[in-house]
Amino acid sequence: MISLAGRDILHAWGKFIFTGVGLGLLIGVTLTMAGVYRGMVDDGRVLLDNSGADLWVVQRDTLGPYAESSSIPDDLWRSIRTMPGVAQAANVTYLTMQVGRGEAEPGGARVDVRAMVVGIAAGGPGTPGWPPQLAAGRQITRGHYEAVADLASGLRLGEVVKIRRNHYTVVGLTRRMVSASGDPMIFIPLKDAQEAQFLKDNDAVLMQRRRSEANPAFNRPGVPGLLDAVIAAQTSNPSVNAVLVRIRPGYGVEEVAEPIRRWQRVTVYGRAQMEEILVGKLIATSAKQIAMFLVILAAVSAAIVAFIIYTLTMDKIREIAVLKLIGTRNRTIAAMILQQALVLGVIGFVVGKIAATFAAPLFPKYVLLVPIDSIIGFCVVLAICVLSSIVSIRLALAVDPAAAIGG
Amino acid sequence: MKLPGLKRRTLALLAVLLPLLLLFIYVALRSGPLAPVAVTVVMVESKPVAPALAGIGTVQARFTYKIGPTFAGRLKHLDVHVGDAVKAGQVLGEIDPVDLDDRIVAQQAALKAAEAVLRQAEARQSFAQTQAGRWEQLRVARVASEELVAMKRQEHAVADAALAAARDDTVRLRAELAALRTQRGNLRLIAPVDGLVASRDADPGTTVVAGQAVVEVIDPASLWVDARFDQISAEGLAAGLPAQLVLRSRHSQPLAGRVLRIEPRADAITEETVAKIVFDAPPSPLPPLGELAEITVQLSPLPAAPTIPNAALRVVDGRRGVWKVVDGDLAFAPVSLGRSDLDGRVQVVEGLAAGERIVVYSEKALGAGSRIRVVERLPGVAP
Amino acid sequence: MAGQGIRIEGLSKRYGKGETAVLALKDVNMHVDPGEVVGLIGPSGSGKSTLLKCLGAVIDPTAGRMLLGDELVFDNGWKVRDLRALRRDKIGFVFQAPYLISFLDVTDNVALLPMLAGVPNDAARTRARELLAALDVQHRASAMPAQLSGGEQQRVAIARGLVNRPPVILADEPTAPLDSVRALSVIRILNDMARRFETAVIVVTHDEKIIPTFKRIYHIRDGVTHEEAGEGRSL
Repeated sequence: MISLAGRDILHAWGKFIFTGVGLGLLIGVTLTMAGVYRGMVDDGRVLLDNSGADLWVVQRDTLGPYAESSSIPDDLWRSIRTMPGVAQAANVTYLTMQVGRGEAEPGGARVDVRAMVVGIAAGGPGTPGWPPQLAAGRQITRGHYEAVADLASGLRLGEVVKIRRNHYTVVGLTRRMVSASGDPMIFIPLKDAQEAQFLKDNDAVLMQRRRSEANPAFNRPGVPGLLDAVIAAQTSNPSVNAVLVRIRPGYGVEEVAEPIRRWQRVTVYGRAQMEEILVGKLIATSAKQIAMFLVILAAVSAAIVAFIIYTLTMDKIREIAVLKLIGTRNRTIAAMILQQALVLGVIGFVVGKIAATFAAPLFPKYVLLVPIDSIIGFCVVLAICVLSSIVSIRLALAVDPAAAIGG
Repeated sequence: MKLPGLKRRTLALLAVLLPLLLLFIYVALRSGPLAPVAVTVVMVESKPVAPALAGIGTVQARFTYKIGPTFAGRLKHLDVHVGDAVKAGQVLGEIDPVDLDDRIVAQQAALKAAEAVLRQAEARQSFAQTQAGRWEQLRVARVASEELVAMKRQEHAVADAALAAARDDTVRLRAELAALRTQRGNLRLIAPVDGLVASRDADPGTTVVAGQAVVEVIDPASLWVDARFDQISAEGLAAGLPAQLVLRSRHSQPLAGRVLRIEPRADAITEETVAKIVFDAPPSPLPPLGELAEITVQLSPLPAAPTIPNAALRVVDGRRGVWKVVDGDLAFAPVSLGRSDLDGRVQVVEGLAAGERIVVYSEKALGAGSRIRVVERLPGVAP
Repeated sequence: MAGQGIRIEGLSKRYGKGETAVLALKDVNMHVDPGEVVGLIGPSGSGKSTLLKCLGAVIDPTAGRMLLGDELVFDNGWKVRDLRALRRDKIGFVFQAPYLISFLDVTDNVALLPMLAGVPNDAARTRARELLAALDVQHRASAMPAQLSGGEQQRVAIARGLVNRPPVILADEPTAPLDSVRALSVIRILNDMARRFETAVIVVTHDEKIIPTFKRIYHIRDGVTHEEAGEGRSL
């Protein structure tokens, strides 16, 4: 027996390829969509991986430092460092902000890069919070005004960026070090970052100073020096967002976290809880959004496959009548239509996978295509093809062989 | 005979599908977890390292003179402006005496009145003394009664006391007058040293309280930088070391200086060691006080030892080390580190030998089982 | 294999039920011997199509008997379970428009029937090629139907009708789209093939050009057939 479906495809291969490519682009969009979701989850994961921490100590009853703002005194780490099971503890600050590029160069136009500025405690590579590996350049060696930036920011080695009031020289580059929302990270020394969190810009500083001067409570004629003290207090920032803790080998997460929670009166999260916060809470809405899109795209794909197969079947309705008249079994005809739908699905999937892979790096945010998604996608595509061919199969089976006989 | 129609179609279909399939296989292998991790590799070299310390500080004057009145008054005139050079003893301005002169006149009048009271008391005392002497003689002559004599004696003592009080009162008033006159003289603001006016905090007509600075005079020769070094990277900081100073406004002209002293008291809050850095030669023009300066203190070079870039350091299971490349496979080598310089070179005390090959940059975190692909530079990094 | 050709007795077909029932065929009797070509002629609405569909086993007659070859296939009800196999193996169809399968080449169009019956592909193709050679279209064996002329298409269609050596061939207006030369040529081929393969051929037509060629003609009007002798003009 020859394959009727194969012969039909060979006969109308142009139609099949083009339809398959069209369907493939649609599937590509679907796969990319799934990749966007995976990318978002991965952004959260790499954020946690790159911090190098086992525990996050944050302000009491907050979901900080990524999902909520958290502020704790910058000398708290010393007390945490002495808790049992703590191998390392380091302050860290996170601040998502616009970072000025190009302004430092003469004649350069200011280009803003949205970035997450990470203040990392002094202590050399390997300290929690430091970039775990680089793509180029070196780690920060000076205590001030050096930065390690992510490649996604577009910054280059040696470039000078402006963060708030200060200029930082980019000495190192990282890869895939992003915030949970995909913004590239820029690592700067903690003290600079603390200042950056507080000192907005020169204008803001001046305004603040004037405001304090105008306040009679601070500017008392009888108390010289009070105003200076107030301004000094206003422009220093003795807080950080979190303390990153690395646990000594052999200690359990809760074993270390519980005493800190209890005695230091702070909230402590472990890796699993943090992931739950980032993936479960921070991107929950976006994930639902994407899930909606996936459902819609699947529905659209199904509709398109169904329509294409339907059209192909309608084109052959006379031939199907003849086939039935000359004694072709229903099973054979159904198999022909089903095989065509599946072939269309396979072509679509292959094209879609290729399209998605090549399109993924072009997206501004990270798109992660994981094999399991592809496999699931493949199964779903085939399932959709099977389902959408049912209409056509019913149509074909309903054809009366008598229709082939004229009159 | 031409090819059968179906064969031609089959060939055409294959011509389209085959590249698609090849592309698909390429895509499946080159992306995702099957792709090898791109890394760059460097050889450990034995090199001397010249460590240096980096800190920041602000330009300060070692001696700052805040000149102001010693009691409240209104500023009458102020003759110097910010930036003026002043000499020791130069009158910079004056405080309006307000009622001080009137108070002196009143004090003088009070003094005169007190002197009159004194004279009156003298007269009373001399009369009382005379009376007492006469009644004493009468008592000796048994003419007067003992009781009357005692009364006259008491009157004399009272007159003596009144005289002493009046005399003391004049002394007091005279001293008060002198005090007012001294204050009158102190209304002038006088420069204590040769120097430069750094700020002028009040203008004529302003009422100032006692102790409030009206002008600030600094000694330009005594400029230094109040520098702060993070304690964790301040190892080796000592007085006398040469330092390079870069002022924020003149970042292309580094200035030479040296560490004058390490402050015995560090900043416990900011975890910084505080040091004073002096300029070898006073910079000209003078930098404004409070200007930010970056300080690099060069330490003496250390002997050669295996040296690696700090970008090669990784933390695996809480241990700091590097990934060694041995026959194309990865092996993690924990290291203990020595000193490092500001260019990111770190000496390895233990754990590595010169000549070993280690991973410097990697696309993502490595594991012992990672497949690697050694490249010149990572994809996406501009040359 | 050819056996008795086709024989029907007292065949009737009623559409609908009760009051509105329409009797499309009334007691039709007809027989065609192997090797014989008869014409079936009648105006539109005469029951011609209904008769053809009953003969082709695509609709069910209401009553009567039908013998295909030497097998009683209908006796007030179908006597065979698999009508598809019956159509495939016992009846050859040749249509007004040839209705070849557009995505199969000529050989496979013909070979499809034996293949459906389970004949191996190569054997089926060999048989198809033999028939195509007999019909003088072997040179177009690997062409697609769309590349053939009308006459060639009709010949391929006849080949398909013959390929399973059915006892009867039903030809529905096989010459309608053809000019008189080609039409006569088709009839000649049908006659040749009928003789050669011992097949009974029923040609439904109202084509004036070919009516004179039949030796026997069944006229059908209002569901009743009348047999009469044709001119039997030689070809």
